[in-house]
Amino acid sequence: MLPELLQGVDTGGLLVIQDSASYSGRHLLQSFINAALNREEAVHVLGFEVSEEELKDGLRGSPVQRLHFHNAYTDPLGWTDHPAFTVHQFCLGELTRLVKQTSHSKPATLVIDSLSWILRHVSTPDVCRTLQQLRKGGAVRSIIGLLHADMHQRGTVGSVCHSATSVITVEPAMRGDEAVAKITKRSKSGKVIQDEEIFRIKDDLTVVVQSKSSKGAKKADSEEQETDPTANLTFNLRLSDTEREAKQKLALPFVFSKEKKTALLHSGPGSGRIHYEPDANDDYDQEDPDDDLDV
Amino acid sequence: MYTELNSILNTTPDSFTQGEFVLLSDRQSDASFLIHHFLSLYLRARCKVCFVGLVQSFNHYSAISQRLGQKESLSVLIPQENDTGSQAMDFLRDPSVGLKSLYEFVRSTVSSNGEEGGDGSEEWGPPVLLVDDLSVLLSLGVSAGAVLDFSHYCRAIVCSQLQGNVVMLVRCDGEGEEDEGDDEGSERLMKGLTHQCSLTLHVQGLPTGYCRDIHGQVEVCWRRRQGDGQYTQKKLFQYKVHDKGASFFAPGTSSAVL
Repeated sequence: MLPELLQGVDTGGLLVIQDSASYSGRHLLQSFINAALNREEAVHVLGFEVSEEELKDGLRGSPVQRLHFHNAYTDPLGWTDHPAFTVHQFCLGELTRLVKQTSHSKPATLVIDSLSWILRHVSTPDVCRTLQQLRKGGAVRSIIGLLHADMHQRGTVGSVCHSATSVITVEPAMRGDEAVAKITKRSKSGKVIQDEEIFRIKDDLTVVVQSKSSKGAKKADSEEQETDPTANLTFNLRLSDTEREAKQKLALPFVFSKEKKTALLHSGPGSGRIHYEPDANDDYDQEDPDDDLDV
Repeated sequence: MYTELNSILNTTPDSFTQGEFVLLSDRQSDASFLIHHFLSLYLRARCKVCFVGLVQSFNHYSAISQRLGQKESLSVLIPQENDTGSQAMDFLRDPSVGLKSLYEFVRSTVSSNGEEGGDGSEEWGPPVLLVDDLSVLLSLGVSAGAVLDFSHYCRAIVCSQLQGNVVMLVRCDGEGEEDEGDDEGSERLMKGLTHQCSLTLHVQGLPTGYCRDIHGQVEVCWRRRQGDGQYTQKKLFQYKVHDKGASFFAPGTSSAVL
């Protein structure tokens, strides 16, 4: 599912990449930026956490002409006299103006690095509202945000991910250069698909999916390792094909199947019959028990 | 300056990565011996060091660096002075104000053009900011968010703009894993700083308990791309602090054991 998402987030979609201190999601974010640039889309990056040089350094080899970096890194809180973009400007009006500054025929992709920085200074409902408005607004085609899940309370993380159409949670894998991605994707019809993949990012920022979820891989291993219990015995526990057929055909004695019922009720020819001739002594009238007395 | 740590980090006074944000952290241990390493490393590299020492007096660092064989005395340092006119420590009076004035002090210090050397023709290296330590700010009433803003701005000015280095020490007590973290927590501060930095050195006691010959373990984690290598490389070492320095070795190879 990761390659599908890399090919393009749906229009009006919000993709959230969740990471933690043990594995940074920025590398995957750069892969998404690289993929969008290679598709000849305009990408606007709202950079709070890393400088423009650092981000472009990681995007060596990508066509960065269509990348517009909005510097919110040097002065996000307005501590100097001329801040380029502050965190308090994170609202629909300002962002629309920012994106429309560069005129392009197609709506652009907005990348936010990172949502955690904004959430530290702007309340969660405001952030979620702005993201929703941006999605419906039409100024941007889709939004990709990086979120450091271990820096916020679970409720905050949950609220932001709830308004997202896709969430990728990245964690370190067993091998050093690989990582595990847990993906949740909500389609427009309301269907939710979840998947877990192990991936590796190559030097040219393409993503290679190594294998499906580690749980699946473990299951296959255990099945292969299970030995056949009927092997290496001094007696034979195996069945040949004819024996197996006969075993399946056998009707068990106390199972009351339909065939048995009809056989009992309508006894076929040659089976025993019971002939009953009523005897005088058998004529026992309940209401008059002394009927047979000859008095 | 500890030579073994230099070889682990691939640094020498003559060549070290610029624009790095190094985070020193410890959990129920004491990582301040690493501060002395970086202090003497950058002084030996003739960098302009701005040392924000909130924990110990100036004489403490001076004495230790002399013991470590630092030939130049620490007088070239700019000690943190509580002038009556200084606004840098304003947050002590009103912690909710944040650390903007402390940042202004740092910015003016690292940006100034080395007048205190007296001899304007001296060649200084890139500026370096050392902070010992950030957790003290938490206990002084500053919120974790304000400290993270401060460290962000320091990084923006020193690392990105002036191509210098920043080294900060943060300390945690307790086991960590404060789930629904309170905003003032040192855990939140440490996680936030870990996201910002490019190199972490985390000092902990040995998981097996006290040992006379091994004082603890250091986990070194490179978070940014190292040349063409893979991202996020981690290495674990054990260390022993002694009189004239500290020695680092791979786990299980302590001289007491071999």
